[in-house]
Amino acid sequence: MCFQHNFWNLAISGLANGLVYAMIALGYTLVYGVLQLINFAHSEVFMIGGFAGLFLLQHFIGSSEPAHGAASVGYVLLGTVGGAIVGGALAFILERVAYRPLRRRRAPKLAFLISAIGASFFLYNLAGKEFGRDSVSIPQPYTNGTVFTVFGAPVQTYYLVTAAVAIVMLIGLDRLVAVTRLGQGIRAVAQDADTASLMGVNIDRVISQTFIIGGLMGGAAGFLFGLQTGVVFTMGFTPGLKAFTAAVLGGIGNIRGAMLGGLILGVAENLSVACTSTKWSDVFAFFILVFVLLVRPTGILGERLGRSA
Amino acid sequence: MTKESVVTKRHLILAAPLAIAAVVLAACGGSSGGSNGGSGGGNKPTYKIALQAPLSGGNQQLGLNIAYGVQLAINQANASGSLPFKLAYTQSDDQGSPGAAPSAAQKLIDDSKVVAVVGPVFSGATRAAEPKFSDANLATISPSATAPDLTKHGWKNFARIVVDDNTQGPADADYIAKVLKLHSVYVIDDASGYAQPLAAAFISKAKSDNLTVKHDTATGTTQCQAGNGNAQQYGTVAGKVKNANLDAVFYAGYYCDGALLSKALHSAGYKGKFVSDDGNKDGKYVSQAGASIANGAYSSCACSDITKSTNPAAPTFVADYKALAHQDPSTYSGEGYDVANIFIQIMKGLGSKVTREDIVKALPSVNYVGLTKPVKFTSDGSYDGSAVYMWQVKSGKFEQLGEISQLVTAG
Repeated sequence: MCFQHNFWNLAISGLANGLVYAMIALGYTLVYGVLQLINFAHSEVFMIGGFAGLFLLQHFIGSSEPAHGAASVGYVLLGTVGGAIVGGALAFILERVAYRPLRRRRAPKLAFLISAIGASFFLYNLAGKEFGRDSVSIPQPYTNGTVFTVFGAPVQTYYLVTAAVAIVMLIGLDRLVAVTRLGQGIRAVAQDADTASLMGVNIDRVISQTFIIGGLMGGAAGFLFGLQTGVVFTMGFTPGLKAFTAAVLGGIGNIRGAMLGGLILGVAENLSVACTSTKWSDVFAFFILVFVLLVRPTGILGERLGRSA
Repeated sequence: MTKESVVTKRHLILAAPLAIAAVVLAACGGSSGGSNGGSGGGNKPTYKIALQAPLSGGNQQLGLNIAYGVQLAINQANASGSLPFKLAYTQSDDQGSPGAAPSAAQKLIDDSKVVAVVGPVFSGATRAAEPKFSDANLATISPSATAPDLTKHGWKNFARIVVDDNTQGPADADYIAKVLKLHSVYVIDDASGYAQPLAAAFISKAKSDNLTVKHDTATGTTQCQAGNGNAQQYGTVAGKVKNANLDAVFYAGYYCDGALLSKALHSAGYKGKFVSDDGNKDGKYVSQAGASIANGAYSSCACSDITKSTNPAAPTFVADYKALAHQDPSTYSGEGYDVANIFIQIMKGLGSKVTREDIVKALPSVNYVGLTKPVKFTSDGSYDGSAVYMWQVKSGKFEQLGEISQLVTAG
């Protein structure tokens, strides 16, 4: 009863959440693919993307009325591109400062993990100190309202914007890894870094580029997320954790797996609360994760960045 | 070059943390030395009145409102020159979270100059911190913690100057049923130690007022540092609320999440009333939700509008507060000021030798005419009174509508 009543509502907002998870999850999965490292500071890349979008739109829109038509599209693009660029830049710096020195010294995997956690703590506390500790709303680049309905469930402007940006970026990334020379490099390093290096692939450069690509996706996701909920220095934590879960669910290291995992997680955790209280959503989400991992320990599509995409 | 002077790179690496530690230690030593020096300047002993409150995090404004009130009371008492001791102010940040509260309390307990504590401010934090304060026999008076059970644990050192949520929750229910004359309400709580009992008290009264009630819990978000919930949940919640098609939403929680919920309700096309509590009653709710969305929202509070007070001392307080804080007094600013002054009055009565034990012993006999209201405590430390006020956002500002029991009688 309750399920029928809310199904399409929950499915639509779940899809929008899932697309954002997918974009963040790609950052985890790409880096894992080339380095077998979980970049826990990626949630801060996401956060900084939100702040970049916020400052840009604050500067260009200010407190004036929401824009319309072409101007709206322009502002959304501006925020997305700004968030992506700053996210990519931070990811690049992170790799240089927190990981490359460790790689040079052939540090054990655990050292990378601690470095990642340390970088994450440092970055979000720095953001809290510099940008204030209150949640700030991003000036709305469009008037949010119901655009059309699906089986009676309203589809809001925000969901369309998220879907449009996310789908374009996800397809773009998929093609990038599949057909370009850069994508070949990433896949080669993921398959076998030593052999790739013997074949003339510049590993350091590929790793740097992988971080930047992950950062671009994460930063843009931060802006999209912030459009709905506002921006604050702690905003990265929960979405970061969920996206990491999504990456594992789909098969860590697998690009399409991360996308699929994000979508499944977003929709499943939303639908699961149709008949119960909202506080149960995490219980269902992680139940699904544990169940999938019991049946398929490598995730739904398996670990295979090298061969796939 | 002698052999001893050769410093290898490895030595440098080892030396760096040591050097940093030395600098930090020196800095700490310097600052504590400085404060000791200051207190040694006169013959009078120095005592500290402390504040434990959320001073960082998504709901920090509720702590800052009170912090300036306490500071103002201490500054004024020192300036009056009539004290047999010197007062100092110190604070401890519990982020409003039960997890951080015990260590924030320990920090104050370990400071032997602290003889009284204003706070804790949030109910969940109070519940977590009080066992420590109680063991240390350190008096705490909360200007704002409203969870009903807090005075039922036998903590002799604890009192509060606001009515509890067994009064606030039912008052909100009465307001929705009898003043707004609505028939159904969707109750959402943030799963905090403050919101759950408030929601429960609200629901039981709402049912006896013949309101149709639906209840959901949306855990306070990590984004607001109020729990481990996900900020994206509000889209889902808003969809459920919209489909339930009830007259009003009652939100039990704090402003940071309250603003997220209001925004989500608005974009889901929900058109009913939004009623919330004292945790939601701050200007930050309006700025974070956006004035156009916040306008019309109600919040109840055991606090009255100090700027509209008939107390002749109120205008001076408002002006002094503004000069100190560079902001208007807001939720519980006056209450924080009153609590600090209650402690100062007790300490004056004790003379130049003040101990933690003596202050705790003096709590039951407090009879203080404060800025916000006359304060007496019942035997368990509850505030002796029952006034709850309803506020509404009008043109982007919370304005007091009146005391709820009077509005209900009139309505």
